[in-house]
Amino acid sequence: MTSSRRNARIGRIGLYVLLVWICLFFSIPLLVVISTSLKSSDEVRQFSIFTLPAAPGFAAWIKAWSSACTGLNCGGVRVGFWNSVRILIPSVIISVMAGAVTGYALSHWRIRGANIIMLLLLFCAFIPYQVILYPLVKTFSTIGIYSSLPCIVAVHIVFGLPVMSMLFRNFYAGLPEELVKAARIDGAGFWRIFAFVMLPMSVNILIVATILQTTGIWNDYLLGLIFAGRDNMPMTVQLNAIATTSTGIIEYNVNTAAALLTALPPLLIYFVSGRYFVRGITAGAVKG
Amino acid sequence: MSAVSVSGLSKSFGLLRVLTDIDLPIEAGAFTVLLGPSGCGKSTLLNAIAGLEDTDTGIIEIDGTDVTQYEPSKRGIAMVFQSYALYPTMTVRKNMSFGLRVRSVPRPEVARRVDWAAKLLQINELLDRKPSQLSGGQRQRVAIGRALVQQAKVFLFDEPLSNLDAKLRTEMRVELKRLHKELGTTIVYVTHDQIEAMTLATRIAVMRAGRIEQYAAPDDLYEEPATLFVASFVGSPAMNFMRGRLLPGNAPAVQVGSAQLPLDGYRFRVPPTAGQEVIVGIRPEHVALARDEPEAQIADAELLFIEPMGADTLGWFQFDGHRLSARLVPQVARGISGRVRLALLADHISLFDPTSEARL
Repeated sequence: MTSSRRNARIGRIGLYVLLVWICLFFSIPLLVVISTSLKSSDEVRQFSIFTLPAAPGFAAWIKAWSSACTGLNCGGVRVGFWNSVRILIPSVIISVMAGAVTGYALSHWRIRGANIIMLLLLFCAFIPYQVILYPLVKTFSTIGIYSSLPCIVAVHIVFGLPVMSMLFRNFYAGLPEELVKAARIDGAGFWRIFAFVMLPMSVNILIVATILQTTGIWNDYLLGLIFAGRDNMPMTVQLNAIATTSTGIIEYNVNTAAALLTALPPLLIYFVSGRYFVRGITAGAVKG
Repeated sequence: MSAVSVSGLSKSFGLLRVLTDIDLPIEAGAFTVLLGPSGCGKSTLLNAIAGLEDTDTGIIEIDGTDVTQYEPSKRGIAMVFQSYALYPTMTVRKNMSFGLRVRSVPRPEVARRVDWAAKLLQINELLDRKPSQLSGGQRQRVAIGRALVQQAKVFLFDEPLSNLDAKLRTEMRVELKRLHKELGTTIVYVTHDQIEAMTLATRIAVMRAGRIEQYAAPDDLYEEPATLFVASFVGSPAMNFMRGRLLPGNAPAVQVGSAQLPLDGYRFRVPPTAGQEVIVGIRPEHVALARDEPEAQIADAELLFIEPMGADTLGWFQFDGHRLSARLVPQVARGISGRVRLALLADHISLFDPTSEARL
């Protein structure tokens, strides 16, 4: 074996050692949370967080799901789960579709000031939430829908639109202009071209947009807390309420189980659709 | 078969003027080619006829109807694009029938037309494939098929062959010519390839910088180019240009270096002025090895190199400070070297004004 080959091999080993370290560094918190959630309350109190559960069981998970208390309410995180689902579905569908139509209009139809609209969208995408929270609250109270399901859905749609529009605009701008021209000559109008020519080509980018919006909206805490109202508190808000409840003993195992339950949907989405995610992001990013 | 008429058409993109006062009458059944280098406005003109591009001024008529304000789909046109622009998610059959379905043509009629076009273009067995499963040439056929089923009044082609390789391009060129002959439809065709233009067109409009420089039949364009630009753009290898001067006297003639070319047969468009500086254009096939031509028409030239092209060989010569090409018989070309006596066949020359660049 020549020395250069030996050096290459040593380099390779070093690389793997480094990678394993990085892996451990990022996965330890997750592993601790998982192991804690599988322990009983006594075990949590008696041993270090790094010891593995002696008798792993899902008791804490069941309690977190169906009977953990938020203040005086003892219905578990499932209340929040269903609230999150009810917020999520209309918000994602409407924001993705509206973003797709806006992106299509901005990229393939000559609209006066399309570039200025794009610039404004870009600007909007980077406005910090905090700045507009108070005006939004005032606006919604004036309209009379503050603290309701329509309110939180509207907020998510509005906050999602800039990024969605840009994502779709960049994707559609990469498609040949002649396609739209051909469809126009074939007699199709704005909507028909969108529905029959553009949308069928957008499967990847639709998946990406759906993932982005689903995880973003699911993980949202601030907006849910402010706009959803008591009866529609999303899962994240409820999780926080459970974890910060200060009466009685702190049940770390239940808290970690609730945290995992809350994190599960976005995790599952990443696992299932990761490859679409990468593919779609690059598809949208390369041309713009 | 329908006539198209473009008159007084102008178009600007912001401050950039892309089309200036275009007049283009097209007869029914004609195969009209818009020829020019990239950026000359030929595609913009085609898009304007299609209605895909708004115009600033001017009128476009199809079949005697003013369609300037009509939507593309209402103009009775069909179009084939350079990138084919097939809908990637639809099968070939769906691609071809999309326009008909949009217009709610009855189903049996749609099927009949698709079958007819597929048979004409020999793509029957491809009907259930997706565009991504087709080769470039097949996609091109499908794109043409999609236009054919429309049974449009006018067919517009935007550089349809430029994405194909050389061999396929020649085949499709012949195919297009056959289709035009069989269907007799009016075609407007954009290309930057002058050979395509010469072979296909019944009439060519040569464009430069948003204007039509000459609009004539291929032979006229080749033999009597109206401007220096047309003369240099059309013909391959290109026309030779040399500085010359009109000679005073009764018999018109032009002095080029040591040679004096008689202009007895030359049809002057404007009366010549003796002593005028001119640019003399002569095509390579009209420069020959001298045999028994009058001494005055002989150019004493130095051979630089030869370029074999198969059927002919191109000889490149140095003459009077000009580089001169001559189309020679290969066997003869192989035998020449050094100083060569060339005959300039004066019957076929073109004269241009050096300042206005117009034909004299």
